[in-house]
Amino acid sequence: MSLRALWIVSHEKGENGSIRFSRRFPTVEYRAKRLAGSSYVAVPEDSPVLQLILLELGLSSPNKPYVAQRDDCIYRPRSPALELPLNGKETLWPVLSVSQGSLILACLPLVDVPSEPRPPLASLLSVSQGLTFLAGLQTFLLGSGAKPDGDGLASRLAMLPSVLLQVCPLGTPLDVPLVGVPATSTVATSAGTQKQPAWKTGLHRGRAMVNVAVVETVRSMQYGNQSRQDLWDVYGTVTCKCEVEGVLPNVTVTLSLPQNGSPLQDILVHPCVTSLDSSILTASSVDNMDSSAFSGPYKFPFSPPLEPFRLCSYTSQVPVPPILGLYRLKEEDNQLCVLVSLKLHETVKNTFEYCEAQLPFFNRNQMGNVDVKVSSGQVEVTKEKNLLVWALGQKFPKSREVTLNAKIIFSGVSPGPSDPLCTGLTAYIKLLFKVPEITLSGCYVDQHLVQVYSSAKPRILTSRELLSKEYFIWNSTGTAPVSNGQMMV
Amino acid sequence: MSTMTSDWLERVGSFRSCPSKFLSETNPEVFLTELLRELRDDRASYSVKMVLLSPLCEYPTLLCLSDPAGEETALDLMSVFAQCPPASTQFRCQLLVALTCVLISSSCVRIRSRASLDFLGLVFQVVRDTSDISRNGPQRSLRATACDCLRELEDCCPSLLTQHLELLGGLRQQETSGLHQAYVGLHTVVLRNAVYRLSQEPGAGAEHLKALLGGTTSADQDSFQTEGKDSAGLGSLILGPMGSVPTLHTGADCKELKSILSSLLEESYLLTPLYQVVLLHRLTEVVAMVPGVPPAILRAQLLRLLGTSEVCLFHVALLMKGAFTDSLFSAEDEAFVLKRLVVLSQHPVLSTPEKLFYMDCILHFPENRPISCGDSDEALPVLLTPQLAAALLPTLFNDGATLLARLRLLSLVYLEEGEVGGRGLAYLYDQLMSLLRVVESGGNREIVVTFFRAAFLFLLSFSHVEQFCSGMSRQLCQLYLQHPQLAPHLINMANQTQERLSESSWASGLLRGLQKAITEVPPAQLTLQALGWHLKVLARVAEEAEIGQRSSLNFLSSVIASSSLSVGGNWRLGNCVLGVCRCVLLHPTLDSLLIPLADILQHLSCYHGDTDIQDHARLYYSLLTTLSQEKLVAMLAQGSTTGGHQVKKRMLSCLMAESEGLTSMLTAHQTSQPILRLTEAPQQLELKQNCDPQGTEVDKASETYRAQFSDPHFASEIPLKYQLTHTEGSDPRFDQIFSIRLHFSLTDRHYEQLEDMSVPCLFRERPPPIVKLRLKPRQPYPTTLHISAIFTTRDGFSWHTELPDVHVAFQQVFLPLPAPPNWAPGSRLKVFQELWDEICSEAGDGAVSLFCCQLRGPSLKALLKEHLLPFLLSDPSGEEEFRVLVFLPPQNHVLLKIRAEEDAVHFNMASDNWQLLPHVNSYLLTVTSDRQLLALF
Repeated sequence: MSLRALWIVSHEKGENGSIRFSRRFPTVEYRAKRLAGSSYVAVPEDSPVLQLILLELGLSSPNKPYVAQRDDCIYRPRSPALELPLNGKETLWPVLSVSQGSLILACLPLVDVPSEPRPPLASLLSVSQGLTFLAGLQTFLLGSGAKPDGDGLASRLAMLPSVLLQVCPLGTPLDVPLVGVPATSTVATSAGTQKQPAWKTGLHRGRAMVNVAVVETVRSMQYGNQSRQDLWDVYGTVTCKCEVEGVLPNVTVTLSLPQNGSPLQDILVHPCVTSLDSSILTASSVDNMDSSAFSGPYKFPFSPPLEPFRLCSYTSQVPVPPILGLYRLKEEDNQLCVLVSLKLHETVKNTFEYCEAQLPFFNRNQMGNVDVKVSSGQVEVTKEKNLLVWALGQKFPKSREVTLNAKIIFSGVSPGPSDPLCTGLTAYIKLLFKVPEITLSGCYVDQHLVQVYSSAKPRILTSRELLSKEYFIWNSTGTAPVSNGQMMV
Repeated sequence: MSTMTSDWLERVGSFRSCPSKFLSETNPEVFLTELLRELRDDRASYSVKMVLLSPLCEYPTLLCLSDPAGEETALDLMSVFAQCPPASTQFRCQLLVALTCVLISSSCVRIRSRASLDFLGLVFQVVRDTSDISRNGPQRSLRATACDCLRELEDCCPSLLTQHLELLGGLRQQETSGLHQAYVGLHTVVLRNAVYRLSQEPGAGAEHLKALLGGTTSADQDSFQTEGKDSAGLGSLILGPMGSVPTLHTGADCKELKSILSSLLEESYLLTPLYQVVLLHRLTEVVAMVPGVPPAILRAQLLRLLGTSEVCLFHVALLMKGAFTDSLFSAEDEAFVLKRLVVLSQHPVLSTPEKLFYMDCILHFPENRPISCGDSDEALPVLLTPQLAAALLPTLFNDGATLLARLRLLSLVYLEEGEVGGRGLAYLYDQLMSLLRVVESGGNREIVVTFFRAAFLFLLSFSHVEQFCSGMSRQLCQLYLQHPQLAPHLINMANQTQERLSESSWASGLLRGLQKAITEVPPAQLTLQALGWHLKVLARVAEEAEIGQRSSLNFLSSVIASSSLSVGGNWRLGNCVLGVCRCVLLHPTLDSLLIPLADILQHLSCYHGDTDIQDHARLYYSLLTTLSQEKLVAMLAQGSTTGGHQVKKRMLSCLMAESEGLTSMLTAHQTSQPILRLTEAPQQLELKQNCDPQGTEVDKASETYRAQFSDPHFASEIPLKYQLTHTEGSDPRFDQIFSIRLHFSLTDRHYEQLEDMSVPCLFRERPPPIVKLRLKPRQPYPTTLHISAIFTTRDGFSWHTELPDVHVAFQQVFLPLPAPPNWAPGSRLKVFQELWDEICSEAGDGAVSLFCCQLRGPSLKALLKEHLLPFLLSDPSGEEEFRVLVFLPPQNHVLLKIRAEEDAVHFNMASDNWQLLPHVNSYLLTVTSDRQLLALF
């Protein structure tokens, strides 16, 4: 249940790879040696490890189209655990790796069960521990979701030795590196008998406040085709920021659904949730829908950590997509006729923070003459001349329907960017929108059902938001890829 | 930043980036000494000292080369700790970590050395000192680190702390700050190891357990338990339903244990997820070992674990399921857990590595009643129906790794179902074809590789489903024509299918299709680049005995005749054409291809613009027209020959087409294990006195002596004699070997590169030849030489072999004083005295030191006679003081004044290179300890 070594690698599309940080844990290595006996494989020095990781991830020699070692068609699971081939028959396994942009985080967990024959990953607790640790390290180094920026990353890397001294001094991770908490924070004392959670680095003093935000994300694939069923799905996350006094204060947040709402499925909760009702976990998207399924209210009693956290996440099956679209392309004597219509569903609030449709024309020459008519909003051609951006603003017109007609002649010389999923009549519109104060599933947090068991009456804030992601409307006159097999089988 | 500081940061940086390179340029012992000296230096800042500790925290075994060295280092570090002000907490924490690393890796803890016991005492003191509660100070992080050090010590040396179980339990309960996690971790691992140890003891039962938990075990035992015989306790005891766990039979009477377990479980929620899983896993092991505790004690945690978003928490629940099967999980629970796993494998908020891990867990799902016999092979859980698995059907929107993992899982599902005409399988095939279309429309390299892996995975499972496989073959041929640069992928795929699916004819079907596709391309549409790939594919096609080659040959003749393609003078293309011809020469249907092939070869030999190609073509032509097919095949066949066909293999090297095989045929063969070695030649007793007592006295001895070094070659080499012999192996092929060329490579930079040496022959039955090495030191340190040899065997083969490393010991570098032979002893002593005075006075690189040991008079003389006689300057029969001068090239001296005092023999030493002193010291330690032992008997 420990790590033998840790590496942080950066590279530029496979080139100029370098080890930005590495750490060995010799006492874990001592155990590895004694556990593995004659099948022990020592950890090589940094530079061969770097080359092997890049090779196994298919990143080495990016300019060579085929390298036998890298591109062999034999399938070996490479993620999340790599097997690095060393000299002769020896291999280093399992090297866990997590990549984000040009940064690769890797570690080698200790195999604490007999290593011959090779045990399955699933039998090694250190593997899931390693994954959790790497994910935490990633958040520490890059923040959530952001791209690695040079200076910020460098300063975080410089902090790493002292951070590791706290969270993983000898190879057994005690915690993930904490973001925003100074490495040598002084821990507030708890005077009473209540033990302080190890994941809470101090105590809040001052006005109590609970902020709960529900963000739903909708994805969709619309084909505008009789033979192909349109798809959409919704998933939500509930994020909390709680400032409540006490060593282990109790807070309960309740998610509610409207009368006829379909149940929340696939619920995952944060480890700070103290207890769970089994009925909350029963509904799942991989099951046949059970009409008698539990549909709330969903109670989550928990004791909050100091930092903002994701209380829970869920998926939901909603009856209609928020925006229904139709996209039709026709090649006509050297020009492309484009017809788009978008219709906002009547149940969705017509107040957007933004709404934008992107129409890429990749793998073609640049757009020359573009003749566009829209019923609402503005259309722009991007500088690279391969993308139409149709900004729809904050509101759909009263009819809740907008159209775009265009005739495009591709006359430019230099070819634009390529996307194999956007060639010829295989083309799509991508919708980007954000609607404040609604959720598609109808899920909401009632302020009055947020209970805080503490002396002071807290301020309670709740919010909702709907976001689009991977919201595609495919050209109905071309072939389009399938996005969900479940519907087809 | 002072230059000292930046210098140190740079040195430690270069050590950590490549320790082997760094240490080859310096001496590990010296580096360690310097590190420790700097750590004791008050002028250095603690932030620099933190960096100085990192080599010891990461590579202790590279710096402490022996257990005593580890012990010494640990004592040094502990004195640094003692002197360090309490305020520099971070440094003190790092010191504890470094000490733990040094003591564990040098096995001091295993043998319970003095330093390790001192350290345990020190850490225990820190762990028990809870006075910081009031001060709320940074001391806490020191306690946290100390707990983790103890935990690691116990993890590495199981049951080291068993005797302190009760104390640790008390400390755990007492602690209420966030630190209690560290105490929980420590208490748990000690508890688990103690129970494990009891389970190994025959006859141990409830009473023993009670005594252990109550801290009332017999007091005669050492405070720190000595180690058990096996290291089995190191590993996880939870090996799934088929693994066996040692058990401790207590009956139902284990109240105390139960109450400890419940209190630990109650607190588990307060731990960080990463540490919760350690606790839960350890407790799972304890419950598994003690049948008296029902697994249901863990039940209250399950729902929380199964509903979590943390991968490690869910995983620990799965491991519990593997350990307890239906005694903790009902059939209904099992269905729920599996469903949950499928959900997690595709949950939109989880990361890709996590989802892939969950998918792996599905393939190794710990079933309550497994049907397969527990080998590590993947097996689908019975409950995973195609309907349930459909949530994991691959799509084009998946990333490569996910797509492949899903494809494999679903292939297993449909294979198990045995439904060939099912919609699921058709769906998989459709997805494969969509992926092919993406490749066709210019997908990047990653997509191309993913596609070929997916296609191969599909074939592996469904090569028996004709409709899909032949369809795929057709599609691949079309794809190839549009993108001939995919040739290496297709050839690789054909090779792999043939290897993995030997009974399937799919690969040859594909190759036949490719041949047809290529040969039907009108020459006018060919590009030079595509042609190169086509020829590579055709060469591969020609390796298939059952594929007719006529169309290939027609294609070749049209290509070489075509004027639009400038094959005319292109060596590379010419070679590709010859490559195809060469394969056709081996084809079983060659008889029927004679005329077209001969035409092509003749055309090449007459009209090709490159002479090399012409010559090759002419050679092939004459082989074709003069040899019978049988002989031709025997001459050209490569690779498969073994044993008695060596001569043929040799001849063939010149008949190869341009291919990768060429190099492998021409290079020397590698022996599988060392067959030669160098051993030190037995020393011939050199009775020759190293100086002449009647020699002349010299006036300015020292000056004359030094003047000799104006010649840079003077006394710069150390001659070493070795014997070249066979190793124990008795392969008769190597009984007589010839033209042996020895190549030496250095492992450090302390010596000049050695030149290769030749030995004419080595016969097993004859006396071994002597090899004289002339080492030229830059620094006279011990070293290791890598040696390899190339030689020829009687049958004319060339071989390359590695020899075992030769270690050059420190004393092998010793030379007597290189004074002119006609000098009288007095002059030599003068040189000695002048050098001695010089070293004692100067502040340069020189240093003096003292080494003492217990030796009786006669043994001292015996020692001198045995080891130091050639270097002795004073009279060996003298009583008072012996003077020894060792010369070490290029220009170093070690001077010894040896005198037997009352209590001990004193070796006063001086050297003009202080870095030699540690070596002298260890040398003296070795030679005198032999003596001391002897003296004992």
